[in-house]
Amino acid sequence: METTPIFKKEIASDSGKLMAKQRRFAYTSLVPILLYMGLFTLFPIAWAVVMSFFSYTPIREGSGFLGLGGANPFIGIDNYIELFTENTKPAEVFRLALKNTFIFTALVLPLNLLITLPLAVILESIGERFKTLFRAIYFLPTISSSVALVIIWSYVYAPGWGLLSLMFKAIGLVPPKSWLQDPSLVYFGVPLAMICVVIAHVWQDFGYNLVIFVAALQSIPKTLREAARVDGANAWQEFWLVVVPLLSRTVLLTSVLTVISSLQVFVIFQLLTRGGPQNQTQTMLLSIYENAFRFANNLGLSSAMSMILFIIILILTVTQFRILRTEWEY
Amino acid sequence: MRKMFFVLVLASLLLAACGGGATEAPAAADEKVEIRVWGHQAPAFNEANQKMFDDFMAANPNVTIKYETFPWDVFIQTIQTSLPAGNTADVILIPGGYTCRYASGGQLLEVPADVMTVDAAKGIFFDAPLGGQTCDGKLYGFPAEYNLEYGGAYVNPALFEAAGVTYPPAWENWDAVLADAKKMTVLGSDGVMTTAGMHYTNSDQLFTYFLAGILEQGGSYFAEDGKHFNFNSPEAVATIQKLMDMAQTDGVVDPIIFNAESEWVGDSFAQGHNAIGVLGSWYAGDAKIGYPDLVFDYVALPPMMGTEHKFVSVGGWGYVVGKSTQHPDIAWKLAAFLGADQANVLFFNSKSATIPAMKSVAADAKYVEAVPFASAVLPILDAGAYQGNLTDPDQLAYEIVYPTILDAVQGNQTAEEAANSIHDAANAMVDSAQ
Amino acid sequence: MTTSSNKKPSIGFVLGKSGAYAILILGLVGTLLPFFYIIVSSLKTTEELRQTPPDFFPKNPSFEHYTAILTDEKIPLTQNLFNSIFVSLTRVIITLFTSSYAGYIFAKYHFKGKNLAFGVILIQIMIPFQVVMIPNYLLVVKLGLIDSLWALIIPAFIDAYGIFMMKQFIEGMPSELMDAARIDGASEFGIYSRIILPQMGPPLASLGIFTFMSTWNDYLWPLIVLTSPEKRTIPLLVVWFQTAHVSNQGLILAASILTLLPIFVVYIFLQRWIVDQATSSAFK
Repeated sequence: METTPIFKKEIASDSGKLMAKQRRFAYTSLVPILLYMGLFTLFPIAWAVVMSFFSYTPIREGSGFLGLGGANPFIGIDNYIELFTENTKPAEVFRLALKNTFIFTALVLPLNLLITLPLAVILESIGERFKTLFRAIYFLPTISSSVALVIIWSYVYAPGWGLLSLMFKAIGLVPPKSWLQDPSLVYFGVPLAMICVVIAHVWQDFGYNLVIFVAALQSIPKTLREAARVDGANAWQEFWLVVVPLLSRTVLLTSVLTVISSLQVFVIFQLLTRGGPQNQTQTMLLSIYENAFRFANNLGLSSAMSMILFIIILILTVTQFRILRTEWEY
Repeated sequence: MRKMFFVLVLASLLLAACGGGATEAPAAADEKVEIRVWGHQAPAFNEANQKMFDDFMAANPNVTIKYETFPWDVFIQTIQTSLPAGNTADVILIPGGYTCRYASGGQLLEVPADVMTVDAAKGIFFDAPLGGQTCDGKLYGFPAEYNLEYGGAYVNPALFEAAGVTYPPAWENWDAVLADAKKMTVLGSDGVMTTAGMHYTNSDQLFTYFLAGILEQGGSYFAEDGKHFNFNSPEAVATIQKLMDMAQTDGVVDPIIFNAESEWVGDSFAQGHNAIGVLGSWYAGDAKIGYPDLVFDYVALPPMMGTEHKFVSVGGWGYVVGKSTQHPDIAWKLAAFLGADQANVLFFNSKSATIPAMKSVAADAKYVEAVPFASAVLPILDAGAYQGNLTDPDQLAYEIVYPTILDAVQGNQTAEEAANSIHDAANAMVDSAQ
Repeated sequence: MTTSSNKKPSIGFVLGKSGAYAILILGLVGTLLPFFYIIVSSLKTTEELRQTPPDFFPKNPSFEHYTAILTDEKIPLTQNLFNSIFVSLTRVIITLFTSSYAGYIFAKYHFKGKNLAFGVILIQIMIPFQVVMIPNYLLVVKLGLIDSLWALIIPAFIDAYGIFMMKQFIEGMPSELMDAARIDGASEFGIYSRIILPQMGPPLASLGIFTFMSTWNDYLWPLIVLTSPEKRTIPLLVVWFQTAHVSNQGLILAASILTLLPIFVVYIFLQRWIVDQATSSAFK
């Protein structure tokens, strides 16, 4: 990976006119783009923020701008208060969803790293031809449609006769009656259904981190490792003292990316478990979606949920940019 | 090249605007009119509807009907998002529990008095389905069917025979049903249930029988104010206990394998995985299309908690007209053609094997001839009432009652705990809606 | 992982060559087995699919579900395929143009408010789609785009991620060539189209492939904005199948595989670029 140059001042052009012409070009080009961003990004964001302070459902015709007001009154932070303190079903489910989303993320990240890091190290050590082939195949689930993958996994987890149950029986183990539907099967505080979703998701997603790690390993200059060996380090020391420190930034960045994307997983929860059993796989996104489109049409409450999710993701994204901004040099 | 960017943006915006605006001009008398109809993706419904649309188009050559159907979840979501946005079909075949919600928000048109009055409708339709299409005493649509999740079950003669149980069954009371169901329950060599004697743990069934159980014992699920709920009464607890005992003591179903999410009662029955499938008669039509070789009957079930049948219904599917229609006259003409014309209603109910919402069709010998298995439930239709204003029926049924009772039936909480938790959640829902 | 040899310099030091391959092949089986199971299952007859316990392999493999889905006139499969291809390709073309163009401006020009403007674009990356899903829906309704394929295209003209990527790439290009072109009298846009663009083959190719795939696989937004059956894209068709044809599992399986197939074909030919893209987008 080449290093990203810090922006260099353009070679000074002594003509102020030329600079003005360039500026004009930049402005006229960017104005339509920014207007467009305003309409399709900033305006919806502002709309969502405002909506979260209203008791808003499009079923009722409101009076003010965008139907906010009148029958859809301003209620201050009541939506947020409801979500965190009240005992209505949507609020209870949301709090559970918040917890589940964190459990999901907390399981996905280590499992992902546990698979991808060693696999990347092994992959990096083999011949170029096979490396390309393996890497290509491991990446296959990543590019596949989530909808199709959910159908595949519904066959894997089908109770009694699914692929996983058949494999269990083949090696003489007793599979659980139901992989995705039994709320009483909880291991170390994590419901079995959640574990199953984690596995399916990691299977779908690990290819990403794998190719990133392989690329990072390849970009470590051979000279550094040779130098270490000249200094008398054995392979084990070489790995821990040279490779690991150089890899740590990549791992950190990849971890943040994995966490952000885990918070936004939707299709597999909506189509494979529908948040069940007993809301054990209910996530924030599913709650937002169901309250907005499936049940009460309560867009005000859904928007408040979105805001909470947004704040979490914002914090992580800022972290990610912090990591990105610091230069890396070998 | 730079200009091309603007041209591109403009051109696509224009294109899109034209696409959106094309149908908005009001039509003159014999101008070509396209009427969009939305319905649920159920094979039996669709076959019946298509024939009636063809008839209507033959009689009104200037009208073309565009019929679009959606699977349940997609349909509910599509209605939820597009009705308020003013982007709907002209005529919608809408589920009963939804009509009042949208009507009170001003999203649906009231049935014009010259098409049908409320009083006239009361004479024509049964109370329960009509209740699903009225709101604050006003009529908003024509019920197409009587949604009945109660009082009947599918029975599989092969499984009865295999277990040596009399077929067809003539059950005098609920215990007799359970006794037969027990004999037909089969466990595999690994102890996992392969055939349920009776599958009653679907979402609609647990909800329906929970409400019906309270009513059969003479109780009520509404509090005194008629808005809040009374779900922790002794009747409610007893009903939940009964639903639990049938799985836990009698063992006629394993609710971990058989529920709404896995082994859904209809497909599970059709594949021979349960001997008595408690489900509305509406599924018979779908089963005949999806599983043409399946041999089955639909039989009456005795009351579960009392001696008399007593139950409520969500109403049933009905034809309504969205407020955004450009052709209200033609839309109502079509809705009435589909939902208020005796011959067409007879055809629809016969073809789709649904229970008639129209009294005269239920009494028609031709209907019973076409849908023989419906005779099991025809006698109890008058015992049903509309479920009333449940605030948010979907939330109550699928978010609160079903998951809680299923949890109890699966052995994770007691009947009292379940009743209390339903009671609290349901009333919190009412409070937050006010 | 306890013993290691001083003599073996390779990173596969602990496992040895055969151990490394054993693990890699195990991973391969884990990755491919679910695909394989679904493919062989789709060749089973309806009866075999309903049989419990099922056999792993079909007795008489047949393509009956594929023929059924391809020939059933009630299923607008070709129309839906066309929709998916049309939307994906249009989005690729537009994204490539806007990303490279805006990336060029941000990389090579100095002007007041540049950081602010770039910040505005970055906001799009930070906002999860679901946060703006509801207002976006209402907006698309107001623009009259609902139930139109343009509802999938117009809100996606600008891809912040693409701009970000392209900016990073163009920043790495030397500015000397640009200045030389200016002296020769080239317009600013001419510099973009004649100097910058021709050098951007690899990043544009990989951005294009990724845009194509993510559009092809997109599910939630089309689900919300498209209502007519003939407007559906392929993933919607599969979900529609899953809900509407529970009695015929074979059709669902065949439909899923038909969703995966075009992407796999693209992938086989372009996999090197795709993998490179995944790497570079994460690094930059």
